[in-house]
Amino acid sequence: MIEIKNLHASVNGKEILKGINLTVNAGEVHAIMGPNGSGKSTLAQVLSGHPAYQVTQGEVLFEGENLLDMEPEKRAHAGVFLAFQYPVEIPGVSNSYFLKAGLNEIRKSRGQEELDSMQFLKLLKEKMKVVEMDPSFINRPVNEGFSGGEKKRNEILQMAVLEPKLAILDETDSGLDIDALKIVSSGVNKLKSPKNATIVVTHYQRLLNYIVPDVVHVLVNGRIVKSGGKDLAMELEANGYDFIREEMLQNA
Amino acid sequence: MSTENNQYVSEFTAFQHNGAAKSPAWVNDIRTSALAQFTEKGFPTTKEENWKYTNITPIAKSQFKYSSAAEEISADLIQSLMIDGVDQHVIVFINGHRSKEHSSLSGLNDNVVVTNLIDAYASHGTLIRQHLSKYAKMHESPFTALNTAFLNDGLFIHVPAGTYVEKPIHVLFISAEKPGEQTAAHIRNLIVVEEGARVNFLHSFCSAEKNANLTNVVTEIVAGKNSVVELVKVQKESESSYHVEDLHVHQHRESTVHIFSLAVGSAIARNDMSVIIDGESTECNLNGLYITSGEQLIDHHTFMHHIHPNCPSHELFKGILMDKSRAVFNGKVYVEPEAQKTDSKQTNRNLLLSDDAIVDTKPELEIFADDVKCTHGAAVGGMNETHSFYLKTRGITNESARGILTVGFAAEATQKIAHSALRHHVDLIVVDHLRKKFGTANLPDIVHA
Repeated sequence: MIEIKNLHASVNGKEILKGINLTVNAGEVHAIMGPNGSGKSTLAQVLSGHPAYQVTQGEVLFEGENLLDMEPEKRAHAGVFLAFQYPVEIPGVSNSYFLKAGLNEIRKSRGQEELDSMQFLKLLKEKMKVVEMDPSFINRPVNEGFSGGEKKRNEILQMAVLEPKLAILDETDSGLDIDALKIVSSGVNKLKSPKNATIVVTHYQRLLNYIVPDVVHVLVNGRIVKSGGKDLAMELEANGYDFIREEMLQNA
Repeated sequence: MSTENNQYVSEFTAFQHNGAAKSPAWVNDIRTSALAQFTEKGFPTTKEENWKYTNITPIAKSQFKYSSAAEEISADLIQSLMIDGVDQHVIVFINGHRSKEHSSLSGLNDNVVVTNLIDAYASHGTLIRQHLSKYAKMHESPFTALNTAFLNDGLFIHVPAGTYVEKPIHVLFISAEKPGEQTAAHIRNLIVVEEGARVNFLHSFCSAEKNANLTNVVTEIVAGKNSVVELVKVQKESESSYHVEDLHVHQHRESTVHIFSLAVGSAIARNDMSVIIDGESTECNLNGLYITSGEQLIDHHTFMHHIHPNCPSHELFKGILMDKSRAVFNGKVYVEPEAQKTDSKQTNRNLLLSDDAIVDTKPELEIFADDVKCTHGAAVGGMNETHSFYLKTRGITNESARGILTVGFAAEATQKIAHSALRHHVDLIVVDHLRKKFGTANLPDIVHA
C-alpha cells in the first residue's frame, strides 16, 4: 500500500529523518516506536504533507502514486488519514459541519455523490457508536472544550467517517486514561479490514496490548534501527530504549 | 475657518431660522455653542493623535446636505432587517427622522418610553435637560460638535426603576438616498435606564440602497444603579457611505453593561466608545468584531474610565481584514487612584487575509492605583497554518479551510453577546457577509459551545 524509500526530511534546516525505509501492505498494522525526538511524529507529519517539513531526499509511493507531490487534501482524497497527537480546536464551527465538509470533498474526488444532511447525520450517528461518543458532540464546536480523551475519540470518529485506506495514529494513547484507551483502541480495531492498513506511532508499549501490531519498528535518531514482531515491543518495554543503543554501539 | 465648514454654517443658520429645529430654547443655546466649537476647530486631520490613523478627508471634502425629512422606504426592507424568530419592539429612523409608519411598539411595558427626542421634550423635558449633552463632550470631537450643532431629533428611551423589558428593543437607523444628493443625518440618541431595570437594545445601522451619505451619531446612555443593560450595535451601511458614532455610557454603582459592536459597513467608519464606571462593584463588557474589505477603513476607539474600586471591565475586539482595507483599534484604559482592585482585561486580535491589508492597534493604559489587575494584548497575523493543515488532512480544500477558520475566528467575538437571539442575529449577519466576501455559499453557520 505504501512504500517509503530512503526518506530524508528536515525542519528549519535541521535534518530529522535520515533515510527511512518502510513498506506497509494492506491488512497490516505496523507500530513505530522510539524515544522522544527520534522523528516518529515528524514521519507522521511528513506523510500527511505538513508544510513546515521539507523532504530533501527519497520517495513515497502510495498505491503506486507519488504521495509527496500531493497537497495534504489530495492525500486525504487518496485515502491517507492522520490522527493528530494534538487535535486543533475550531471555535464556532460544528463537529458535524466539519466532518460533512471533509467527507463530501473526499466523495467528490472519488466520483461519488455527496451526502445530504439527513444521510450524513444517519452515517455520523452510526459511527459515533464505534467510539461510544455522546450524540451532543454532533453540534458542539470542533474539539472546543473537549477533554484530552474526547479529542482523541473525536479523531477516531473522523477516521470512522472518512474510512481511509491508510490511517496513521500519532501518539493516540498520550494523555488517555485506561478507560478512554480501551474505547479508542477498540474503535481502531473495529475499523481494521484486509483492505486498509494502520501505522501506530507510540512511545509506550501499552497501546500495543490493545492494538496488536504485525510488525514493530524502532526509530532512533531518524532511522529505523530494528524491526521485528510484536515481541520486540515487549522487549523495549522491559529494557527501555538503551538496549537498542547498546546494540547499535556493539554493531558499530 | 476652512472653506469646507462654510456650508455647515450657512446650513446651520437656515436650520435655526426655518423652523426645522423643533426643540426648546435651551437646546438652541447648546446648538449655537456647538457650532462655534465646530467652526473653530474644523474637521480633524491625521496630525491629531486621536485621528492619526484615520484620514477623514473624503468626509471633509463632501458636500453633505442636512436631511430635513424621512425618505420613503419599503416595508420589505424593514422586514428583512428584523431579528429572526423573536418578538421585538421596533422603532425606525430614516435619515435621523422617526418613521411612525414603520415602527411597532405594541406590547411595550406601559411605563417604558420609546420615542423620538422631539416628542419627548414635552413629557420628559426635565429628564432630557438633566442628561442631554452631559456625557458626549463637544470639545472632544469635531463630529460630536457638528452633531450637537444640528441636534434636533433622534432616539429617546426611558426605562423606569425596576422595570424588566422582556423583548429586545430594536432601533433601526436607515440611511436613504435623496436623489442627486449626499445627505448628512446627525442623529442624537439618549437612553436613560433607571435603578434596577433590565433591557436589551439592538441598534441597526443600514442603508436603503448603495449611497454615499454621512451618518453622524451621538448616543448617550445612562445605566442606573444595579441596572443590567445590553447594547448590540450592527453597522452595515453601504460601503460607499460614511459613519461616525460617539457613544458614551455612564454607569452607576453595581450596574452591568454589555456592549457589542459589529462593524462591516461604510467606506470610512469611526466608532468612539467611552464608558465611565462611576460607582463601586460595577461591571462593563465591551466587545466587538470588524470585517473590512475593498478599501474600507473601520476604526474603534474605546475608553474605559475606572473611577471607583472593585470594578471589572473586559474588552475583546477582533478584526478580519481583506483586500486593501484598513482597521484601527485604540483601546484606552484609565484607572484613577481611588479605583483599587480594578480588574481590567483588554484584547485585540486581527486576522489578515491579504498582504495589502493594514491594521493599527494601540493599547493605552494609564494606571494610577497600585492594587489592580490590568492586562492587555494585541495580535496581528495571517491564517494559522497548523489549523489550516488540520482541516486539509480531512480532505477540505484550502479555500474552504480559510472560510471555516474565518467563521471560527469571528465566533469567539460574537459569543460575548449576552442575549441569545441577538447573538444568533449577529452570527447570521456575520456569516452572510463573509459568504458574500468569499464569493461562496459554502461556509458553515456559527455555533457556540
